[in-house]
Amino acid sequence: MTNSMAEIEDTECMFVIGSNTTEAHPVLALRMKTALRRGAQLIVADPRRTWLAERAHIHLQLRPGTDIPLLLAMSQVILSEGLQDRAYIEALTENFDEFAASTAAWSPERAAEVCGVGAGDIRRAARIYAQTEKAGIYYTLGITEHVCGVDNVRALSNLALITGHIGREASGVNPLRGQNNVQGCNDVGNNPVYLPGYQEVADAEVRAKFSAAWETELSAVPGLRLDQMMSGMLDGSVKAFFIMGEDPVLSEPNAAKVNRGFEQLDFVVLQDIFLNETGRLYADVVLPASCFAEKDGTFTNSERRVQRVRKALDPPGQARTDLWILQQVAKALGSDWGEQSPAQVWDEFADLSPKFHGIRYDRIEELGIQWPCPDRDHPGTRFLHQGAPIRGKGLLYGLDHVPPWEETCAEYPLLLTTGRTLYHYNAATQTRRSEGHNEKQGHPFVEVSPDDARALGLKHGDRLTMASRRGEIEVRAEVTDRVHAGVLWMPMHFAEASANVLTGDGKDPEIGVPEYKVTAVRILTS
Amino acid sequence: MTEARITLDGRTLEVAEGDTLLDAARAAGIEIPTLCHDDRLDPFGGCRMCLVDLEGTRRPVPACKTTCADGMVVNCGGERLQRVRRTMVDMLLADHYQDVAVKDNELERYAVEYGVEQPSLRFDRRGAYDDRNRFIGFNPGACILCDRCVRYCDEVMQCTALEHAGQGGNALVQPTQGKSFLDTTCELCGGCVSTCPTGALYEKQATRNGAVTEQECAKTSTICTYCGVGCSLDLNVKDGRVIKVTAETGVGANDGHLCNKGRFAFDFIHHPDRLTEPLLRGDDGELHPASWEEALARVADGLGAVKQQHGPDALAFLASSRCTNEDVYLLQKLARAAAGTNNVHSCAAT
Repeated sequence: MTNSMAEIEDTECMFVIGSNTTEAHPVLALRMKTALRRGAQLIVADPRRTWLAERAHIHLQLRPGTDIPLLLAMSQVILSEGLQDRAYIEALTENFDEFAASTAAWSPERAAEVCGVGAGDIRRAARIYAQTEKAGIYYTLGITEHVCGVDNVRALSNLALITGHIGREASGVNPLRGQNNVQGCNDVGNNPVYLPGYQEVADAEVRAKFSAAWETELSAVPGLRLDQMMSGMLDGSVKAFFIMGEDPVLSEPNAAKVNRGFEQLDFVVLQDIFLNETGRLYADVVLPASCFAEKDGTFTNSERRVQRVRKALDPPGQARTDLWILQQVAKALGSDWGEQSPAQVWDEFADLSPKFHGIRYDRIEELGIQWPCPDRDHPGTRFLHQGAPIRGKGLLYGLDHVPPWEETCAEYPLLLTTGRTLYHYNAATQTRRSEGHNEKQGHPFVEVSPDDARALGLKHGDRLTMASRRGEIEVRAEVTDRVHAGVLWMPMHFAEASANVLTGDGKDPEIGVPEYKVTAVRILTS
Repeated sequence: MTEARITLDGRTLEVAEGDTLLDAARAAGIEIPTLCHDDRLDPFGGCRMCLVDLEGTRRPVPACKTTCADGMVVNCGGERLQRVRRTMVDMLLADHYQDVAVKDNELERYAVEYGVEQPSLRFDRRGAYDDRNRFIGFNPGACILCDRCVRYCDEVMQCTALEHAGQGGNALVQPTQGKSFLDTTCELCGGCVSTCPTGALYEKQATRNGAVTEQECAKTSTICTYCGVGCSLDLNVKDGRVIKVTAETGVGANDGHLCNKGRFAFDFIHHPDRLTEPLLRGDDGELHPASWEEALARVADGLGAVKQQHGPDALAFLASSRCTNEDVYLLQKLARAAAGTNNVHSCAAT
């Protein structure tokens, strides 16, 4: 997030796109609810009529995978009606002409047709967003999990830049992180091209610094991204996997293909708190690890705040902390790092990473600190890009509609999109082990519009088979007007009806993020 | 900001515009008792515990609901107010006839403070409320109708899943239309539990093996393991088990709010499915328990063999974005410094 969560309460216009905030980020959504009570305007762009959508001043119920046309049309309205922040554009952006030219083809009328929303609503949304002083954009995976995920984010960044809605309190572009430590996981270098602290592997000076600190030579060969690892198993370039706390068989798209890949591996290690599907089927070694309640450390939340995690319990049986396990594995591979405490590991990271240099355990006992925080006297950073974009000038992008990897056809006429519910969490290894949560929501289901249900002869609660070109699953029908005709929605939490049996190989060409959000399917009724 | 000057218990105070007398008193370190007040909710003025004397008015006024105005002269103590508050506690206790004793009880604390050992009246007019949900326990016999839960549900969650039904002696708080919590718009966030001052609403999980009070638990302050909001919470532990999760108002990114997962989805910690020993795949294709020495040797052999035969870039390392920064830092260091490859990633790219 460019901004802090507390600032949401002071926002005057919230543009929520591809985020079912009240279910996926319930406590952050409380800030939005407060802003609503205080009179903020709310624009929601989402294929589903979510809780926020029901209360929105404008709900743009677009077809999945049509975000760019919508955002280009909003940009066109802003430019053609003179609602842009000319001074900001002139002084602090670049590439305006290419961007402006790319909006020309996307009139609200044309976008309305592609997106399935009203042209008047696009105009009104653009005006409200542009003309409100404090306007914030909030998005999650509904934006990023597309073949054009990166361009979707650029389209949002364009909107913020041309209206000057960035670099100020309560105005910015805010991805809401889905998992407790997505932010931190990236920060500490869990990335094939970045060493810790967003320092590039390709930079020889950076490599030399880490090489000296770690007392070993470092490879300059850029690593594989997750999607490349998945395809690497099939082409034979990846032969072994060390997995800490993930379940790729369930959570990666096109499960059948992922399974074929794992079958070809020489060696698989799983370090986890439960024996997941990947481990059950393919692990040669399973190492019992610790959950959050059993270790010390830090998580970094969506607003870049590094916060202390504290041990309350011992791990069960022979299970060990992840830190201990990793130190032992390194030692077994010939690298003895000693037994560093979590604080010592953090210090090693912070010593090597300028943006995090000032954050130390003794400073975050009470309240976490938001990075960038370059030195020990720095208070941390509440919102980014103050005064000017960090890179100097905000780069505007010329964009165009990118159709989904897979479109509907006569054989697979329905469009399936996926998401999270309030009562479960991702692959649900934790929440489905809670009886109370299972009682509230215990079965896989798919949301079907009343029109589609009628056409298919489906009643609420009917069992049905849903098939894509990759596979099929059995679920129950939830007939609801939350989705439009032609669009289906299902949660990703149920292993017995995993959405990833259906999802395909579409991915963003720049960063490889899979297109979980659009799959062509058909429904077979018995 | 416009400021006002008021006199509180003889002290002259500068206060900000919009501050209530309660805000001003607290800022000055003067304690005023409250029961129906929660800083996260709109001022209500229902319980009358916070009555103070305001010069120029005949009757005392509720401090939580009276906005400071320039020149006000206010007294927060004195014998008359003590008597009034004692009477209020006495009356509230009449309706508070059962206590599950899982939560800290603000009313009983005031009963001790104001010396009300036995209430003058005792009603027993509300039946038990047996609800099939497993998280939120509700004991109408401890409810004092302060409506904090109802207002939390309306104002903060905006779920309107609780109602203040009936009138007079028949008044009661209940899930909408007296249904189960599972059959209303309730999202099981437990915010009602967190704001309840008497324990009428309580954490059911803390009563599974006999009621465990908060005093019996050791609290560890940590961060929620679920989404990226990063709520601060306290794990309440007794005998090596998490009994319940609480969160303190005014702390962290969440100000005491939690969702149903953060507050109630902790059973996985003690679940019998937890891995408790290393496992090795045997020649029979099954996983078998092994010692750490055996497991680590097998890891070194397996990774070493692939590295030797196919080079370091045939190894791939995957980390979960559920792990701590320190865990993930060491995993990428393992890949880069120990194994010699930059093949390290997670699904955190989104």
